[in-house]
Amino acid sequence: MAATHAEWTKLWSVRSTWWCLGSAAVLMVGQAVATAFSESTEIPASRIAVDGVFYLVQFVVLALAALFVAGEYGTGGIRSTLQWVPVRRRVLAAKCAVLAPTLFVVGVVLAALAIAVSVPLLNERVPGTPVGEAVRTALAAGAYCALLGVLTVGVSVALRSVAGALTVTFLLLLVAPLLLGGMGLVAVLDYLPGIAGVNVMIGEGELSPLSGNPVPYNEFAGLGVLAAWVAAALVAGDAVLRRRDA
Amino acid sequence: MITLRSLTKRYGARTVVDDLTFDVEPGKITGFLGPNGAGKSTTMRMVLGLDQPTSGQALVGGRRYAELRHPLREVGALLDAKALHPGRTAEKNLLAMARSNDIPDRRVGELLEKVGLTEAARKRTGAFSLGMSQRLGIAGALLGDPKVLMFDEPVNGLDPDGVLWVRGLLRSLAAEGRTVLVSSHLMSEMQLTADRLVVIGKGRLLADAPIEEFIASNSVSAVHVRLPDAGDRRALAERLRRDGAEVDLPSDGELVVRDIPVERVGDAAHALGVRLHGLSPRTASLEQAYLELTASAVEYGVSERTVGV
Repeated sequence: MAATHAEWTKLWSVRSTWWCLGSAAVLMVGQAVATAFSESTEIPASRIAVDGVFYLVQFVVLALAALFVAGEYGTGGIRSTLQWVPVRRRVLAAKCAVLAPTLFVVGVVLAALAIAVSVPLLNERVPGTPVGEAVRTALAAGAYCALLGVLTVGVSVALRSVAGALTVTFLLLLVAPLLLGGMGLVAVLDYLPGIAGVNVMIGEGELSPLSGNPVPYNEFAGLGVLAAWVAAALVAGDAVLRRRDA
Repeated sequence: MITLRSLTKRYGARTVVDDLTFDVEPGKITGFLGPNGAGKSTTMRMVLGLDQPTSGQALVGGRRYAELRHPLREVGALLDAKALHPGRTAEKNLLAMARSNDIPDRRVGELLEKVGLTEAARKRTGAFSLGMSQRLGIAGALLGDPKVLMFDEPVNGLDPDGVLWVRGLLRSLAAEGRTVLVSSHLMSEMQLTADRLVVIGKGRLLADAPIEEFIASNSVSAVHVRLPDAGDRRALAERLRRDGAEVDLPSDGELVVRDIPVERVGDAAHALGVRLHGLSPRTASLEQAYLELTASAVEYGVSERTVGV
């Protein structure tokens, strides 16, 4: 608990955290308003929120987590962190314990905000978003942001640099789907972390805007796919953190 | 109490810390001395569990650092004063540190006051001078009121007032019965603060002794005499040897006399009626002794390794 309390204090005592969250909110609301306002928009408010998470918010989540964790290797702060809490797995757990709930709330609030500002602006041709669907989308967005943050913790500790962590997560989220899609491996796409996240947010059977196929599994299976990626990143991070000198 | 037993650290073929065994005892200041790159910081990092020893052990109070439940309440350390997020304020930094070891928040204000940073508490540490960062690092080391303290070059970047303040602080910490290990590459600094000296060079232990003993065995004083006449020179040398001095004739016109004071050399010259052009007592500084000690370690290190291969 003490280690988590310390990490919580650290997270909220640097400006980059506030910048990240502020810009995520501005980007999300801005794109929701712009999309909803457009006459050509045909997607419901819940889908506007999903687009906002996938194309904008998730990158802010990556930046926030990478700066918080990998950033310590740049400043040398990691040596202080490990001096304060020498059990390295405890440090890793504390970072996750701080980021996951924070990013869950961020995802829920931003998705809800995007839906709330979109609904009154959308033209009458677009199907409405029932409250249940809005709630489901927001919770899924929160879960996706939380898991993505924890995945970035693992990658950051494994690579020990902000640039490295951002490169790898970008490749995984954006470039890998393009490459594999281009190679015709469409069936694999649904098991990449970014696509799985979108699948969780839009729900089973819906047509995925990214793969073009109906989502082949329900939300919980989708979260399972994400959790597997998170686990792999944490195992890699844990192995590096325990072996390397600080 | 810090205990090192055959502590060794290698990076590939390079041995940075080589089979170090010594104890750092409570109630005194132990100076940890060696040239830059001698392995002092690596040794300290191994004590804190930041670096993994290749072999051997570094223990604090008989336990490994990572086994300590609240390490900051048992070991305080200042290693790299700039190893902080530059955007966090001094106060928040200490607050996070305190919370990591369940140390009450109020200690933060107390320590900021103690190191004279109360005014700068809300400033981001990126804007700190090296001296201010050192003070913050010292506050961090003392935060958990630990029994064991390690400071890596603590007077680095401090102004003369700050240096005096650190010396006084180290003295009072040792007087309270704490174990204090202070590293430095400056003999002169250690001469003023340390009770005991541990000297390393190229990662190896060169000396481990109370400071008086180190000074006694490493500082040599001599009297240099210059005389224009070769006959006088021989006569004076003979006379001084009879008085129990050790006399060298290093070059034409000069004598180097050891083991008797300058006054007796002058009196002897007067009694013999010889002409002197110079008479001066010289004390080889401890700094010189230390340089010679560490320089020879480098040579021995090289030759031994060559033999070993």
